[in-house]
This record gives sequence, C-alpha cells and structure tokens, in this order.
Amino acid sequence: MDIICNGLGFQYSKKTEFAKYALKDVSLTIKSGEFFGIIGHTGSGKSTFIRHLNALCEVQEGSLSVGEIDLSPEKKKGKKKKEYKKRLKDLRKSVGMVFQYPEQQLFAETVFEDVAFGYKNFNEKPSAEEVEAAVKGALSLVGLDYNLVKDKSPFDLSGGQKRRVAIAGVLVAKPSILVLDEPCAGLDPAGKTELWALLHHLHKTTVETIIVVSHDMNDVAKHCTRVAMFSDGTLKRVATPSELFDDTILIEESGLEVPVTAFIKNELLKNGLEIKTDYTDDNFVEQIVNLYKSRQV
Amino acid sequence: MLSDVAFGQYYPVSSPVHRLDPRTKIVILIAYIVMIFLIKNFVGFVLAGAFLLATIIIAKVPIGSVIKSVKAILFIIIITFIINLFLHKEEGAKVLFDVWLLNKITDKSIKYALFMALRLSFLVFGSSLLTLTTTPVSLTDGIESLLTPLKWIRFPVHELALIMSIALRFIPTLMEETDRIISAQKARGADFETGNFLKKAKALLPVLIPLVISAFRRAEELGDAMDARCYNGSKNRTKYKKLTFKFRDFISVFITAAVFTAVIFANIYLGGIV
Ligand SMILES: Nc1ncnc2c1ncn2[C@@H]1O[C@H](COP(=O)(O)OP(=O)(O)OP(=O)(O)O)[C@@H](O)[C@H]1O
Ligand SMILES: [Mg+2]
Repeated sequence: MDIICNGLGFQYSKKTEFAKYALKDVSLTIKSGEFFGIIGHTGSGKSTFIRHLNALCEVQEGSLSVGEIDLSPEKKKGKKKKEYKKRLKDLRKSVGMVFQYPEQQLFAETVFEDVAFGYKNFNEKPSAEEVEAAVKGALSLVGLDYNLVKDKSPFDLSGGQKRRVAIAGVLVAKPSILVLDEPCAGLDPAGKTELWALLHHLHKTTVETIIVVSHDMNDVAKHCTRVAMFSDGTLKRVATPSELFDDTILIEESGLEVPVTAFIKNELLKNGLEIKTDYTDDNFVEQIVNLYKSRQV
Repeated sequence: MLSDVAFGQYYPVSSPVHRLDPRTKIVILIAYIVMIFLIKNFVGFVLAGAFLLATIIIAKVPIGSVIKSVKAILFIIIITFIINLFLHKEEGAKVLFDVWLLNKITDKSIKYALFMALRLSFLVFGSSLLTLTTTPVSLTDGIESLLTPLKWIRFPVHELALIMSIALRFIPTLMEETDRIISAQKARGADFETGNFLKKAKALLPVLIPLVISAFRRAEELGDAMDARCYNGSKNRTKYKKLTFKFRDFISVFITAAVFTAVIFANIYLGGIV
C-alpha cells in the first residue's frame, strides 16, 4: 500500500481568528516497504501530517490516498457517506497508529481486554479463540509473556511494559502500515534499543511499511531508508539519511541537530580530514578505521 | 475539534473595561442583574440596553461574541417564554387567543413573557461581557477579595478561589487530552457515532477512564509540586498582582448608579406597563 499525497494543506480552527496553517502544500509519496522517517522542529506539522494517514484530520486541501483508499474531501459527501465510513474502518485497520505516550490510551481492566479492544472493533463478531490467538500473537510480537501479563491490570505494569501493551493493542489489528509518533520518548537507552529492534523485526515480518516520527537524528540515520524533513508546516526535503545529513546547513537552519557521526565528520573536515560515510554507526567506524590505516602507511 | 469550544472566553484586547478592577466589574454585574429584574417597562430595557451597548463599545469586544453567548441558554429562554405566555394571569387583561385546554394568551401575558425572555438574555449578555473582558485569574482574585468577610466565620475563601482558578486553568488541558485520547481510540477502531444511546455511552468508557486516570495523576503531581514549594494559603500570603481601585472604578460605579436610579425613576413615573 503506497501513500500518495499531493498539495496537502491543513488549518486547525479553520474559519476562526485563530486559524493558522499547520500543513501547507505537502506532496509526498511513501512506497510500500519503506522504513520512513519524519523529522522537523517542534510544531513543524509532523503529527498533523501523520494524523491525516488515519483520517483523524480531514483533508482540507489537496489530495491523499492510502493504498486503494482515497481520502480526498469530495469522497465523503452525500450518498457516499456510508461507504466512506466503511472505508474509514478499512483504513484504520490497515494503518496502525501509535501516538506519543501510547500508554495513556490504556483503559481496560486487564491487559488481555485492552489488547483485544482493537481486534474486536475491526473484526465482525470474532470467536473467543480468534481473539485469544490475536492477542497472544500481538503480545509475543512486543516481547511480553502472554500468560504472565494477560490478567494483570495494565496500570500495574512498568512504564516500558505499558508502552509495549499499548503497541500490542495497535498491532493486534495486523496493520500493513505502522505509524509511530516519537515512540522512544521517555524510554531509557536500553528501552530505546529494544524498541528499534522491535520495529526492525516487525518490518521484516508482519508490517510492510513503517513510518516513524523522531527527534533523535542518530536513530534516524541508523534506521530509516528515507526521511522527510518538515519545517513550519512545509515539506523541506525528502531524501535518504545520508543525502540529508550531507546538507548540514539545511539541518541546522531548521533548528535540528545533526547526528553525532555527521558532527564528527564535519569537525574532521575542518581539520583537513575528509571521509565519506552514510552516517550509520558501523559504516562510520569502518571509515575512520580505514582513514587511520591509510595514514599510517 | 473539541478545543474550538470557547470556555472562559476571554477576548484579549486592551480597553478601559478590561483594565477595571475585577471587583468593580463583579459588583457592577450584580447591580446590573438586580436592575434588570426590577425593570417594569420598556423604557427601563432601553436604558439597560444602552448601558450594555455602551459598555460593549468601550470594551472593544465584537458584538457578535456577546450575542452568541445567548445560544447556550436559548432553549431555557424559549421554554420560559412559552410557560409565561400561557400561565401568566393578571386582572383586567385582554384575551387575545383562547387556546383550548391550555390557557388564555392575553396582551399582558405576551408582554410579561417577552420581558422575562429579555431579562434572561440581558443577564447572559452582561455575564458574558464580564468573562470576555476579565481573565479567569483576575476574576477569581476578585471573587476571593469580595468574599473576604466570610473568612471571619472561618470559611476557606482562599482555598475556594484556588480551587476555582486551578479548575479553570485545567479546562483547556483536559480538552486537549480528551482530543488526544479520542484520536487514539478511534485509531484502534472505536466507533463513537453509531448505535443507540446505551451503546454510545458505553463507547465512551475507553475515553473516560484514561481521562480520569490522567486527571488524578495531574492532581497528584500538582499537589506534590505545591507541597514541594511549601505552598499554603495562610494569612500572611502576599499577592503578585495587588488589586487596587483606580479613578476609573469610581467613575464606572457612578455611571452604573446613575443608570440604576434612572431605571427606578422610570418605574415610578411611567409605572409598570405589565
Ligand atoms: N489541536 C490543535 N489545535 C490548534 N492548533 C494545533 C493543534 N495541534 C497542533 N496545532 C498547531 O499546529 C502546528 C503543528 O503542530 P504539530 O502537532 O503537527 O507539530 P509537531 O511537528 O508534531 O510538533 P512536536 O514535535 O512538538 O510534536 C503547531 O503550530 C501547533 O501549534
Ligand atoms: Mg508531534
């Protein structure tokens, strides 16, 4: 399922004195199978953009389609309304959305019930076995022991566990696109590493496309195949991380930090040492080692 | 979007009315409300209307936003109008319509019902003018100051004012939070729109529970933060913004008193048309 948007524009509180463009003329295609990063300073419209992918923001200007589903405004008027609602459900089933601090959406008495919520919503009258299988699958994907946690109250878990349960609650619908809004916010380094490992695992197995909003350029450089950079509601650039971080000036103008690897590369350059790297840690170390060896000869 | 709903609808411009002491504005509002319930004839309403209009113009708030405020209680106004139309009885009234079984509509009942509707609308106009021109914080400051005499009977005035201002402060935060949780549950396929009343109410649970939990968490955090700063409302507490009466406060009280007197005179000399 490809995501194609053209000239997408959005204003909050439209037609009031507070109206202001949160998105303006965004044209972007995200292909099936990508591990797509979205970066930008705070308030640049990242969250607003991804809300569109789940029709939580209605398309005001331009067009947007997710796979077969066209979300353009004229598609939901008059007689088509009922059909539109049906499409909405299909859309939300295939686009899983993990919001920032997803643990705040937990509500049920037990972990089982909470994870099952999405499955029951998206599937017509599922049997008890089906629900159980789905919940089991989702919990094991996020690395939680089904028998250990299923009867616990989600509020008795640790922060990291809560987040896993919340993510399982999204994965249970078996989405083919998974969108995450700053999934690492508030996690410790180990938790972060685990979460990225989980995303890679999902990307390899059940989820076709992963779209992730992140403030950490090191993570973006390391994990994403392509990156979109937003600034003040407009799309500044779409490129691979190595292309993007080559353009240090653009990054810094937008109020972002370059990854550590790019920083060191630039410092070396100032001292007359030039290396070529794609800014992933492994490649970077390799390049440095090569440089060191070539100098010693 | 939920957050579009105007709550504590302060209209941020600078005007003499905005700069008035909140206590003055509250007292004037009370006087104004007493006045509109004393009014007996149309001349009184013209006076009150002129007073209101002049205040709106001086306050530089859009007249539309004052009128819009009536929408919230339009239903109540209509009900009041209809009830008074049918049930108001007075000696010597001329019957205009004889509605079988219900009651008679007389010329007086029409006027009385109209007056009641006018009174309620004027009441809302005046109150919304107060909230449009006064920030919630200075409003609670004003209320606290006006309630000071109650401290003598050990009524916790300061705590009450604090509760009010915290509640007001958290309304937008909770609205935002509600928005967020609704989005998150919608993304998990929650449907808030279809089904009968019971089903809809049940569908709200996944929103209400996280909301209540986070409200409790916020309350606890705020309480801890206040404790950590040794907050207490004891009597030696000083204020960041001290309320002081200025010349303009006396002027406005004087003008209000003048309008009030004029209404009373109109009542006495023109008599009640009702
Ligand atoms: N519910 C809302 N009502 C009104 N304005 C909003 C709302 N949500 C966001 N905005 C505004 O829209 C703009 C874009 O916000 P958005 O949340 O998309 O930014 P973001 O890139 O996700 O920022 P962050 O990195 O802080 O999450 C901001 O200027 C913000 O003030
Ligand atoms: Mg955001």
